[in-house]
Amino acid sequence: MRIAEPSSSALAERLAPYVLVAPAVLIIVALRLWPLALGVNFSFTGDGDLNGTPVGLGNYLELAADPLFRVSLRNVGLLVLLLPVAVAIPGLLATFIYLRVPGHRVYRSVYFFPAVLSPVIVGAIFNLMLGYDGPLNSLLGMVGAGPVDWLGDPGIAMFTVVGVHVWATFGMALVVFLAGFSTLDSSLLDAARVDGASLRQSIWHVIIPSLTRTIQFVFVTTMIGMLTSMFGLLFVMTSGGPEGATYLPEYYIWHQQGQLNRPALASAASTVLFVVMLVVGLLQITLLRRAGRQD
Amino acid sequence: MPGGRLARWAATVPMAGLALATIYPLVFTANVAMKTRRDYVLDRFAPAGGLRWDNIAEAWTGAGMGRYFVNSFVVVACAVALLLLLGSMAGFALARLRFRGSSMIFLGCLAGLFIPFQVIMVPLTRVMADSGLVDTYPGLILAYVAQYLPFTVFLMTSHYRTIPAEIVDAARIDGNSVYGVYRRIMLPLGVPALLSVGILDALFCWNDVLIALLMMPSPEHRTLMIGVNALRGQYSGDIPTFASGVLIAAVPVLMIYLFLQRQIADGVTAGSTKG
Repeated sequence: MRIAEPSSSALAERLAPYVLVAPAVLIIVALRLWPLALGVNFSFTGDGDLNGTPVGLGNYLELAADPLFRVSLRNVGLLVLLLPVAVAIPGLLATFIYLRVPGHRVYRSVYFFPAVLSPVIVGAIFNLMLGYDGPLNSLLGMVGAGPVDWLGDPGIAMFTVVGVHVWATFGMALVVFLAGFSTLDSSLLDAARVDGASLRQSIWHVIIPSLTRTIQFVFVTTMIGMLTSMFGLLFVMTSGGPEGATYLPEYYIWHQQGQLNRPALASAASTVLFVVMLVVGLLQITLLRRAGRQD
Repeated sequence: MPGGRLARWAATVPMAGLALATIYPLVFTANVAMKTRRDYVLDRFAPAGGLRWDNIAEAWTGAGMGRYFVNSFVVVACAVALLLLLGSMAGFALARLRFRGSSMIFLGCLAGLFIPFQVIMVPLTRVMADSGLVDTYPGLILAYVAQYLPFTVFLMTSHYRTIPAEIVDAARIDGNSVYGVYRRIMLPLGVPALLSVGILDALFCWNDVLIALLMMPSPEHRTLMIGVNALRGQYSGDIPTFASGVLIAAVPVLMIYLFLQRQIADGVTAGSTKG
């Protein structure tokens, strides 16, 4: 017994790291990595009577022909185009807060607070704000502009939803920018001021080149946020309407899976979304790296 | 600092306007929640006479928000406790113990971080349904744990990497087992990170819609956010009660924000400075 005891406890000690990581690894593999493989595989099989039968690219062809899915991809394109705006707003605000505009401490806390609210709550609040005789239209009425059908006009609804999303999330990016600013060498800015640089020149030649990594991070996370956390807003504010104008891939996937019972088709849409996110993400990193080198 | 005095004061105007635009929607909603239906129809902007709890009470009991509140609370509490336990165990092992395969396991967790829920939601729902976990509390808790575990492991690992290895070595020489080191040294030293990650995990779970929608189809299992959406249809003619329901769902989060803003911001930025 005396000899066996130390060796068995030594074995226990050697196994201990594996015991500590095992639950986390099991859960991540079983409920994240494995479903990813399963879903890609699943997207090449049929729905309904064809459940489990290979259909080749059938689902992907159906997606390509589905006007709703095409609208959702076009809306992704719109989001990518609006991305620089969604990054520039918090970037500029963070710059002013960093430069200690009067009341900068208050702004930081105020701007960040919508970021902690659920998209459902934000959507519900804005359902009230954007109503036909709600506060925003009343404000427009005061300056003589006509009431706008923010969520009912197919040409406007998507911009409205994106606007609300930016309202709710710019504080997040702002805080990340401020963390980047705290690593900025302030002597560079002082030197720029001594040399007589204007604010715009300082931003362009000192701040942006020094914060390349932060800007990259904000670009990628803002894009991921736009593509994966607007479901709650769509769910509460538009249900994809009017006339499908506010469909995004995540809403399409949920609708096909949950409402229309087409899980295999939904899986194909998931795979497309994943590829789109990878491509856009990698493209952004490459472009921003190149831009960073030119400076 | 560059930018003259004038430029800095000029920036104040749009910044104050934006601050107002950030606060006003919530103030408006809170004000509506305190009005009677009649007052709301007559003038939705006028300040409510005072605090009226009738609408809040109607939303809490009549619309079932109380029950959804308890559902959300229980699920979030269990999910966060599990996340912190499993995340700190794995984070300690990955950061401070040498074992075969540790870097591969860390990479696997990172990979998990980059898979959006939307991409795996169909097969995950099927896996959960096959295991009989759909529409059960353990199922929803497990789904949340799986969703936020990569993030939790990642942040706990980077936190434990800042704790000197000598502390671990010294504790081992003093005769502590690996588990003893975890319980007596790493868990107490991990408290700041556990607090900050725990708050974020709690916010994510509390605010989630999509996972709850897929995992909890029956009405009596609704979480608070699904309840808010249900309220929208049910009380479309009674906006003050609807606004009260929104307020019930928002207030816990706003409380957390008021008291723990620092920790939330730390958690959000941890990924950008350490990544």
